[in-house]
Amino acid sequence: MASRLALSKSTPLAHLRPRQRRTYASEIESTYTNPHADQQFIAGALDGSKSHAVQSATTSPAPTTPDPDQVLRDYEFSQHQKAVTSKIGSTLAPHYRPHELLSNPPSPKDITLELLLASQAHIGHSTSLWHPANAKYIFGVLAQTPSDPIHIISLDATAAYLRRAAKIVSGVTERGGLVLFVGSRGGQASTVVRAAGLAGGCHLFTKWIPGTITNGQQILGKCGKKVVDHRDEAVPGFEEQLIKSAAVKPDLVVCLNMLENYVLLHECALNNIPTIGILDTDCNPTWITYPIPANDDSLRSVQVIAGVLGRAGEEGQKKRKVNAARGRLPMRQDHGLEAPGEEGEGVGGLGKEMSALMAAERFGEDEVELEGRDVGGEVEEVDASLLEDGMEAEGVEVPYERDEGVDIRNWDTETGERMGRRSEQVGSAQRSARTGGSLGGGERSHVDPTWDGETGERYDEGGVKRR
Amino acid sequence: MGRYNLAPQRVQSHATALLSAGRLATPPPWYPILSQIPPSAILSRPALQRSQRPGSKPSKKSRLFKPLRLNYEEDRLRWEYFNDHPWELAKPRVVLEDEGRDGEKYDWSVPLDHSLRRPKMGSLSEEGIELDQDWDRTAESQAGRPINGEAVVQRTNYLLKHSSGHTHATASAHALSEFARLRHYQETTLRVAREEAQSTGAFFGAGPNEVGMKLEDVQYENWRKWAGEQVEALRQLQGSAYTGNEAETLESTGEARAALQEVGGSVPGSKRGQEARGGAAIHA
Repeated sequence: MASRLALSKSTPLAHLRPRQRRTYASEIESTYTNPHADQQFIAGALDGSKSHAVQSATTSPAPTTPDPDQVLRDYEFSQHQKAVTSKIGSTLAPHYRPHELLSNPPSPKDITLELLLASQAHIGHSTSLWHPANAKYIFGVLAQTPSDPIHIISLDATAAYLRRAAKIVSGVTERGGLVLFVGSRGGQASTVVRAAGLAGGCHLFTKWIPGTITNGQQILGKCGKKVVDHRDEAVPGFEEQLIKSAAVKPDLVVCLNMLENYVLLHECALNNIPTIGILDTDCNPTWITYPIPANDDSLRSVQVIAGVLGRAGEEGQKKRKVNAARGRLPMRQDHGLEAPGEEGEGVGGLGKEMSALMAAERFGEDEVELEGRDVGGEVEEVDASLLEDGMEAEGVEVPYERDEGVDIRNWDTETGERMGRRSEQVGSAQRSARTGGSLGGGERSHVDPTWDGETGERYDEGGVKRR
Repeated sequence: MGRYNLAPQRVQSHATALLSAGRLATPPPWYPILSQIPPSAILSRPALQRSQRPGSKPSKKSRLFKPLRLNYEEDRLRWEYFNDHPWELAKPRVVLEDEGRDGEKYDWSVPLDHSLRRPKMGSLSEEGIELDQDWDRTAESQAGRPINGEAVVQRTNYLLKHSSGHTHATASAHALSEFARLRHYQETTLRVAREEAQSTGAFFGAGPNEVGMKLEDVQYENWRKWAGEQVEALRQLQGSAYTGNEAETLESTGEARAALQEVGGSVPGSKRGQEARGGAAIHA
């Protein structure tokens, strides 16, 4: 007889189990009062509506505002009724429910060939429409009707490439990157919104406006931007810099229908942005960095793939937040913002409007209206924790939390870990990181990490300048 | 290459070059992960595609590196079955899969008319197994099988593979006989149920034949209206070519027509000859 391991309440993870409030029938039925108990009959009006219902011989005064306790009791009673009566009758075996792909999408560890097969991810297009460069992802030709044979995509290739893409998405979000999910076909809107929400990124389900990246200032100029710190809290003091700053570009783009979004993928290539795309048998594999050979015409397969990538982004976000709480911050961003300094520091070069604004702020007026600036639609975030602290004067009161920052030379690009807090001289080290082209200990860098490319000075390992 | 823009594959090396040149101060957030997991090779051809049937050479040399055609034995069986029973294609079939392992829950060793073969209560086999209980246990899992053309194909396949002694013809005949027996039973029960319901006052809506006839009637009426319009238009066209007054001719009036009928039979050169009615020949 095999012994069963019984989980008792004293197991280490018992506190993490979701608590369910048990609702007993007796306590509900004793407290429930039927609001229609005094009604003898409900008569309909002549036109068939029930608006002239007769309640009883003695008309009870209609309650103007519903009692909140009664509302809560009614709700609990209805939930109790559903829980008790919904399972009466035949038991349903676990089966496919379309809404679960959005409400509870699969994660990268749930990728199986059976799941992809059931989601019709293996069905390719007619053989006459294929792109020959996709030959290695194709399992074979299926000719159920001799006149119209189709290609069948190899599902082990799909699974392998999907896992790889999931690692990319989680790796990018772990380091504070912005992922853009794009799906412009019919029915993909909810998919794309859900995936972007999980990954903490942006979504697009309408046509990509050509030039959104290459001509970002024009097209996204009216969109609001904000600066956030490592805890994702907004940091004030950058408003005038943000007006002039460039439109934020995504760090990774996931495209669910490649054929229709050629312009988007081309702009990403021009701006050196890596892309992930669902590669059907008729798509061009050179348009994207990481293909996922799968069927892009079936909504179910698109939802599975986007769900998996969204979950991967969610895992990366979780890791980033844990690291941020521990003070382990990702690499700095090349955002070009300066720390908001004292009065007059930034006045040089600003127009009349900006100086008037700053004057107003100095007087402590609230809610100064900025003309011609709409804060709507996209909100772009920049990490304030990665600002250059070396620029500002000592002892200045700043509205954000200061952190010691990260010296790029000590950041190991291979493992993403800091190799040790060797640089004690924070200011000089950061200056070198800003101006030099130095990298971490990555094998693929062709640059001598001790050489400051711009100023031509040599730096010691400890960050001390030497000639 | 000429036509290909391989910039998406060179994102990492491009960023490295920018960093080394000092154009970029800091690596972008995707830099570390892309260096760990570089993009895979593209535009590479798969290996030589060999046919599934050993010994057969490819029909054309141009197909040497193309994906192979997938041949399944069930496809042949399906082709034969649906050629012999084309109206089975009209029966609706659910192709939605739950988790991809739907085929594993069907046991094709169980005959298709299993539901008609329940043993008598209390009967025992030679070993002492209660046959009706055994039947119940099988029916619990296998009664939900859809019995259609696909079931016939799968049953035939099972018989060919697992029971020695069956040829292709005998296996398909065996599976078809089971299927026909069950289908006959189902159709009879449906018919009897319909008759019973009608005898107690139920009525049904229009069946597919009646619906089809109604649709055809609607189309026929449309055609008739259209045809009438066409005839009218043609008449007007022909009439407009006639330049004379559209006065009533003698022929069109009733009395002239009656007069013509009287003399219609008398032809001067015929055997009977012209009737002697007196007077000159009548002109129109």
